[in-house]
Amino acid sequence: MEPKNQYIPYKMRIASITEEAPLVQTYRLEFVDEKDAEQFTFRAGQFAEYGVFGEGESTFCIASSPTREGYLECTFRSTGRVTKALANCELNDIIGLRGPFGNTFPIEEWYGKNIVFVTGGIALPPLRCVIWNLLDQREKFGDITIYYGARSVNDLVYKEELEEWSSRSDVKLYVTVDPGGETPEWKGLVGFVPTVLEQNPPKSDNAVAIVAGPPILIKMGMPILSKNGFDNANIYTTLENRMKCGVGKCGHCTVGKTYVCKDGPVFTYEEVLKMPAEY
Amino acid sequence: MTPLQNKVAELFENGTISLMIGYKNAINKLAVPCFIDHATQVEQLIYTPECKGNLSVYLHKAEIKQAKKIGILANIATLRSLVQLTSENQLSDIEKTVITINAQNEVLVFDNMEKVEEYVQANFPEYTEEDKKLLEQLNSMTRAERWQYWSEQFAACVKCYACRAVCPMCYCSSCTVECNQPQWIKVSSETTGNLEWHTMRAMHLAGRCINCGECGRICPVGIPVHLLTAQMNLDIEKEFGSKTGFSCNSGYALNTFKPEDKEQFIK
Amino acid sequence: MEIKNIKLSQLPAFFDQLIKSGKVVIAPVMKKSGKVFFERVQSYSQVATDYIQTGFSAKSVVFPKVEVLFSFNKTDDGIDIKDSITDIPETIVWGLRPCDGSAFNYMTEFFLKENPDVYYAARKAKTTLIAISCAKADDACFCTSVGLTPGSTEGSDLLLTTMGEDVYVEVITEKGKAAIDLSASLFSVNEERSKEKYLAKIDTKFSLTEIKERIKTAYDSAEWKNESMGCFGCGACAFSCPTCTCFDIQDEGTQNKGQRLRCWDACGFGQFTKHASGHNPKTNQTQRRRQRLMHKFQYSVENLGIVSCVGCGRCIRVCPAHLNIFENILSVTQ
Ligand code: SF4
Ligand code: SF4
Ligand code: SF4
Ligand code: SF4
Ligand code: SF4
Repeated sequence: MEPKNQYIPYKMRIASITEEAPLVQTYRLEFVDEKDAEQFTFRAGQFAEYGVFGEGESTFCIASSPTREGYLECTFRSTGRVTKALANCELNDIIGLRGPFGNTFPIEEWYGKNIVFVTGGIALPPLRCVIWNLLDQREKFGDITIYYGARSVNDLVYKEELEEWSSRSDVKLYVTVDPGGETPEWKGLVGFVPTVLEQNPPKSDNAVAIVAGPPILIKMGMPILSKNGFDNANIYTTLENRMKCGVGKCGHCTVGKTYVCKDGPVFTYEEVLKMPAEY
Repeated sequence: MTPLQNKVAELFENGTISLMIGYKNAINKLAVPCFIDHATQVEQLIYTPECKGNLSVYLHKAEIKQAKKIGILANIATLRSLVQLTSENQLSDIEKTVITINAQNEVLVFDNMEKVEEYVQANFPEYTEEDKKLLEQLNSMTRAERWQYWSEQFAACVKCYACRAVCPMCYCSSCTVECNQPQWIKVSSETTGNLEWHTMRAMHLAGRCINCGECGRICPVGIPVHLLTAQMNLDIEKEFGSKTGFSCNSGYALNTFKPEDKEQFIK
Repeated sequence: MEIKNIKLSQLPAFFDQLIKSGKVVIAPVMKKSGKVFFERVQSYSQVATDYIQTGFSAKSVVFPKVEVLFSFNKTDDGIDIKDSITDIPETIVWGLRPCDGSAFNYMTEFFLKENPDVYYAARKAKTTLIAISCAKADDACFCTSVGLTPGSTEGSDLLLTTMGEDVYVEVITEKGKAAIDLSASLFSVNEERSKEKYLAKIDTKFSLTEIKERIKTAYDSAEWKNESMGCFGCGACAFSCPTCTCFDIQDEGTQNKGQRLRCWDACGFGQFTKHASGHNPKTNQTQRRRQRLMHKFQYSVENLGIVSCVGCGRCIRVCPAHLNIFENILSVTQ
């Protein structure tokens, strides 16, 4: 069989649009071609290239859970040329999607364990995929604890889902906003995520932690967990270097010899410590 | 040790400089930039006709600026760029000592820009014979021929941006070619887009280029790209009477308003 | 390997047959600037013979500076997408150097071993590489330091070595055989002999075994800063290099009709690794220059088992600051 042309995108129809926060939106995407929908599978942690024809492609994770079939969701902030063009798309517009790319979180290995999520800002989407994946098979896991922070109350994404998680008795949720980002009505925590994490340390027994966020949160968060007794091999992160091809060719995402796109984006802290700090 | 090496060693020893930017010998009989931070290393320093590179471009580099007290070996083109950069307020944060070697082979040290300016004005260079010849050829062409000439040249451009990288006057921290909202200049390299890129660059350098010729000299595909700005400088000198890299206080023609300017639009 | 002989005086006749075959023939051409570049030619008279090395390598034959990945066109009921692979012509590269031939070996490993790249595969399958041994070299050449020689056959389909009035022809692959079969009568049988005396003499600059060992711990060397000080962060070294494979993906046209392209990119550019947020993992030229050298001598060894510098010396000749890769490598592995 001829190898697949990895640069030809799937055609996706925008099936719904949710405004999450200023400049942040979630698109639900459905395959235009039935056949594509049937053979497309992905796993938690993988990402894709989302393209607006004529403008280019942008990289972000698949934010919906593989347990929810029939659609994909992505959440993005419009900052650059492509994400702005994407934000300007309307319901039923057709965009391109290439993927899924990269490795995955080893969710099966986590059965029976306590799971801790640490994330900030627009890095909740990659973990939301994992969170729903676990919640949809809740009985297979121990405690689930989520630390999530944003610059301000307004910048929190998935506000309804945060409500839902906080009302669930089987999820412990810490939501915080950076000092100065609170509103008079805000009842959650105030403080940076690493501080909140240090003040409310998660138990490390039989636990794995997943950290996602801007590089600074990853660089600060993982050592805190490590200090709290988490084994470095049980701390996971997902790196987000600049990418163009997604298949280990274009060279943009490399960290030392490692291609974040194909060797990652999921790495353990143990692996990260062996890599140069080029992320 | 040569007089140059002695002089630089002395400047290190008396604390005038902590980093010296000069040239050293390299393979294939080339003179390449070298960076010296101690008197013991001065023996690398050379000054030969091969020392054509314009070292002033390094003064924009963050790693260099850290050095605080910088000595720079300057050929006449480099001196002119120092003058022009001063007039554009680009060197005010650097404590620099400028060293040159004059026609009599004397090592001259300038500790302020007035002296550099004076030297430049007294030794102001002409266009090289080769550039004069090439410009003459270009000017004797019809518009269509000239378009054809540049189209052929720029078809070969690979957009490596080496011409921009070596240019002391291309110091913008974010260049128009990197701007993609909107995408003024295409990223891919093809003739029309390449022409756009070079037209843009020439316009940004009109009346600022100091004719060092570096951009043309180093272009890996051999495009004489320096001729664009060289010609624009001639036009500007004719129209506005200003020379580039001539005075530390002149500003530059396309950014300066004078009541006697011919244009009406601003009045 | 089959060895053949052709009279030096018959080379133009052989070349004419290649042209007549209707394939695209790319060969070194001396430009007005005195530099030599690969270009499509129509006759042997255009081919440059007296030069050390071409300014750029022949990699554009398999990895063009701009390649259309596909074109798209919005229609009433959706969008049409067409790739351009079927338009790739059969191509012969004439006169590349042995180092460049071996660079194709590396590129094939890189592009095809994992996640095979269909564009590269299609172009490579249609390319025949006719290499010519080097009788001359300059101070920038260092193939002998990276395990090659001015007469290496790796990666090429045919290697020609001029020996006085004769040309010693090594038929390395089936494609090479097909090329000489176009003018079979010009070639006579020959026996294997040493090319040594007809090849350029190139001193080794370092011991590759030693460098490969030492570079493993070179990442934190203090020498990177000094060795990179002169680097301007342009694309000249990467674009001229026969083994640099980095690219950018860009759309051109409108949202209704246009093309998605891939264009050469280079790790030396400041923007290369910059995130949309503005964060840049490789903030300065020292880190970027280190990336280049580590990739050539360490990362590609770790990933594919190949030192991906073939010692062609182009990056040294073309660099506006003439940064010297073998001197740099020596100094950071001291
Ligand atoms: S140096 Fe030459 S090839 Fe490179 S961008 Fe400039 S003109 Fe084009
Ligand atoms: S000649 Fe070229 S490099 Fe020199 S100042 Fe003018 S534009 Fe810049
Ligand atoms: S090494 Fe030379 S050619 Fe390469 S980026 Fe630096 S200045 Fe440009
Ligand atoms: S790194 Fe330089 S010497 Fe090595 S293959 Fe590339 S261009 Fe040639
Ligand atoms: S990372 Fe740099 S050295 Fe490596 S292939 Fe890409 S441009 Fe070349």
